[in-house]
Amino acid sequence: MPNLLLFALLGLGQGALIAAIALGVVVSYRGSGVINLATGAVAMVSGYAFWALTSGFFGVTCPVPVAFAAALAVALVVGLAVEAVVFAPLRHASPLARLAASLGVLLTLQAGVLLIFGNQPQQEPSVLPAGAVPLLGVTIPVDRFLLAAIVGGITVLLAAGYRWTRFGLATRAAAENEQAALLAGLPTQGIATVNAAVAALVAGLLGILAAPIIQVDSTTLPLQVIPALAAALLAGFSSLTIAATAGVLIGVGQSLLYYLATQSWFPTDNGNALPGMSQVLVFGIIVVALFLRGAGLPTRGEVAERRLPAVPASERLARPALLAAAVAATALVVLPYDFRQALTNSLIGAVIVLSYVVITGYLGQISVMQLALSGTAGFLLARLAGGHVPFPFSVLLAATAATALGVAAGVSALRVRGVSLAVLTLAAALAIEQALFLNTSFGGTSGLGVSSPRLFGLDLGPDGPFRGLDGKQPSPVFGLLVLGVAVAAGLYVAHLRRTVLGRQMLAVRANERAAAAAGVNVRGVKVAAFAISSFIASLAGTLYAYNYASVSSVRFTALAALGLIGFAYVGGITTVSGAVIAGLLSTEALVPHALETWFGIKGTWALLFGGVSLVFTLVGNPDGIAGAHHRRKEAAKYAVRTTVPATGETA
Amino acid sequence: MTMFRADAVDVRYGGVHALKGVSLDIAAGQLVGLIGPNGAGKTTFIDAVTGFTPAGGRVVLDGADLSAQPAHRRARRGLARTWQSGELFDDLTVAENLAVSAQHPSWLAALGQTAGRRPRPDDVVAECLDRLDLGGLADSPAHAISQGQRKLVGVARALAARPRLICLDEPAAGLDTTESAKLGRHLRAVADRGTALLLVDHDMGLVLGICDHVVVLEFGAVIAAGPPAHVRQDPAVLSAYLGADDQSRRAAGR
Ligand SMILES: Nc1ncnc2c1ncn2[C@@H]1O[C@H](COP(=O)(O)OP(=O)(O)OP(=O)(O)O)[C@@H](O)[C@H]1O
Ligand SMILES: [Mg+2]
Repeated sequence: MPNLLLFALLGLGQGALIAAIALGVVVSYRGSGVINLATGAVAMVSGYAFWALTSGFFGVTCPVPVAFAAALAVALVVGLAVEAVVFAPLRHASPLARLAASLGVLLTLQAGVLLIFGNQPQQEPSVLPAGAVPLLGVTIPVDRFLLAAIVGGITVLLAAGYRWTRFGLATRAAAENEQAALLAGLPTQGIATVNAAVAALVAGLLGILAAPIIQVDSTTLPLQVIPALAAALLAGFSSLTIAATAGVLIGVGQSLLYYLATQSWFPTDNGNALPGMSQVLVFGIIVVALFLRGAGLPTRGEVAERRLPAVPASERLARPALLAAAVAATALVVLPYDFRQALTNSLIGAVIVLSYVVITGYLGQISVMQLALSGTAGFLLARLAGGHVPFPFSVLLAATAATALGVAAGVSALRVRGVSLAVLTLAAALAIEQALFLNTSFGGTSGLGVSSPRLFGLDLGPDGPFRGLDGKQPSPVFGLLVLGVAVAAGLYVAHLRRTVLGRQMLAVRANERAAAAAGVNVRGVKVAAFAISSFIASLAGTLYAYNYASVSSVRFTALAALGLIGFAYVGGITTVSGAVIAGLLSTEALVPHALETWFGIKGTWALLFGGVSLVFTLVGNPDGIAGAHHRRKEAAKYAVRTTVPATGETA
Repeated sequence: MTMFRADAVDVRYGGVHALKGVSLDIAAGQLVGLIGPNGAGKTTFIDAVTGFTPAGGRVVLDGADLSAQPAHRRARRGLARTWQSGELFDDLTVAENLAVSAQHPSWLAALGQTAGRRPRPDDVVAECLDRLDLGGLADSPAHAISQGQRKLVGVARALAARPRLICLDEPAAGLDTTESAKLGRHLRAVADRGTALLLVDHDMGLVLGICDHVVVLEFGAVIAAGPPAHVRQDPAVLSAYLGADDQSRRAAGR
């Protein structure tokens, strides 16, 4: 029993951090209606800044108070800059576009930290007094209580401020009904800015104070936004007290799970406690919160114009597809081995992004989970191939099973849409990554080997006997196999836009109730879209497995999924050509490889570029690179059409 | 047997009793007007009939009770509607907007069809566009056309479903007098070819001018019903409109 208490109280530290990020999420949502996925990343930035200033990383070692103030200032500047550069210009964009923009901010901050500080976790000095207090037979570090007290104090202060000050009243008015607030002459942009500053300060403060407890690194801290979102959802994105309390309790619950995991009855996986239970807990809380609060978030009576990127239907598919396939096939044979590998990676990346084109581009929903489905299919393939199921049946079986999982997830989330669905699937992706992929009975930490695909005795794998012009591996035959799948998937997705189902998806994306009034079975169309997208993602997962001759969880993380969604937006989330561009830009693909080989620019720069261009794509050019090209072509066509008859008349 | 029957349709929104047991019969080819001051429950009636809000009472079309059916099934059975605010599919072209409501295979069949050739353009799409003089707009993106055209495309989209009854929610709002008169002629022509219409509008000239039968709602209940000439002189109607706010008074005075 004392141990139970010990772990519960130890969890206060983590809980305080989650609570602070949850406060930040709720405050910025109330201020501007943005669900800011980068709130945890702000805590990371201030944590790193504090560490750097106290450890002499930049050549100077500041005294703790100075470093503390400077790190807070960094958080504030980041918060204000993000509001001014990203969210202010997107004030009237759809909620989903703004969520994606905050994703761009997250990726940018994370890549920036990786570039400056590397990926080593750092141990931060503690600002809070060290000591420990004995309590009911256990000794608890005093900082845990202090952290909880600080967050409690902030919550009370903020809650009182929003209740009784004029500014608080104005924020509440804007959160209730932005349009009315605007009409009443309230400076809504100013309100959003101040709230963004408050959110950044709260998250930044706990980033400095709580980071020593959980280490500073560039993946854990940004992802603390997921439990924080669970807390914010429970609070209906409005009550600060509930959000903070729930945040602290989630931290305590996660810590208790660590304790329970030491018990003999706790389910184990090869002698170790079952992994990922704390992520599963957070996912469960989000499911419960969505169930309790209803699937939607509170709406704000916003002045949102809901234009989504256009989805042009292509007249001719065969010619561009043949051309692209011929170029890629030649390149696979001719290119040196490293570029051949990068091109193969690009093609697989393009296939995964195609699954996002269907679900996000056509249906208008963000599902972060698709990459986790790829991973599931990859691991299943490894198991099936290990069990001597021959290619291509192993691929079809693995892809079908993973698709079934995707459809089941889609069906159970049918009532959840938009931003809620994005949050739900993000938590699901993390839970699958931690609980399924790291479980050695399914996946494993060190990866599973996958034997090459063989058909009629021919080795089609990357280590096959056929070599490129330079005589090296990987075999271009495997590249051609990937190319075949990519072309087929691309043609299918482009064709889908022209079919009845494709039209229905766009109708659902534009307006669900008008679609129902036109006789469209909205739920059925969503299930179909989930099925198609999941199958494409699963196919890509099996290609990944063959490509690296092994499957490991690192390729299918939630963060990797967020990165891919980012690249998909940059390329153009609504078109096949956008998916190809995204594939070329993605990690270890042709563009980053070329940059690294020719200019020595590391892959992390590509990530930074991805994050920044995601933000600017959303702000300046929501159709992405491919969309902008298409628009120019359309404009030229209309110009020709309208000028020709005019000259004809005068002649 | 009448083609369409709404029987004691009843809707509550929290504390608001928005519809208090409204009954209404419509025969094939009949053009019925539904009028009343702002907030009388006209949109709520359309929502209830077409399955967009939970409602008590019964909705019967061609002898089949549709009360338990979801909206898209009712639409497939022949209950089409338009929206007060247009609500086109902005990402599709005008022709595609119509095509969506012209064909509805089951979603599994639609999924299967994606493996086949692209669908041939449906004749009904071109025909409905022509009937409302919209042929020139077929390939325009829906977000790029004018407000008046949006209203007409909404009507055309409802027509493309080959419905038995179309419920029109303020199709003439935002149209000028000539556009409104033209719309009236189009609607009359649609009704004369056998499709029943339920027309909700504040333009009394339009409603009283083209309808066969007019029903007046106030506070969620029917206060008068009959031929236009009769309703025009009904004292209850006059007092409902004179007692109501400015906009309706202006509309009634037209
Ligand atoms: N979704 C809703 N939730 C709560 N109350 C509603 C809702 N929709 C309508 N109401 C209320 O029901 C009543 C009837 O509204 P309805 O929109 O049907 O009126 P209407 O006759 O269409 O008015 P208008 O001419 O202004 O369009 C009003 O009092 C309205 O405030
Ligand atoms: Mg109405």
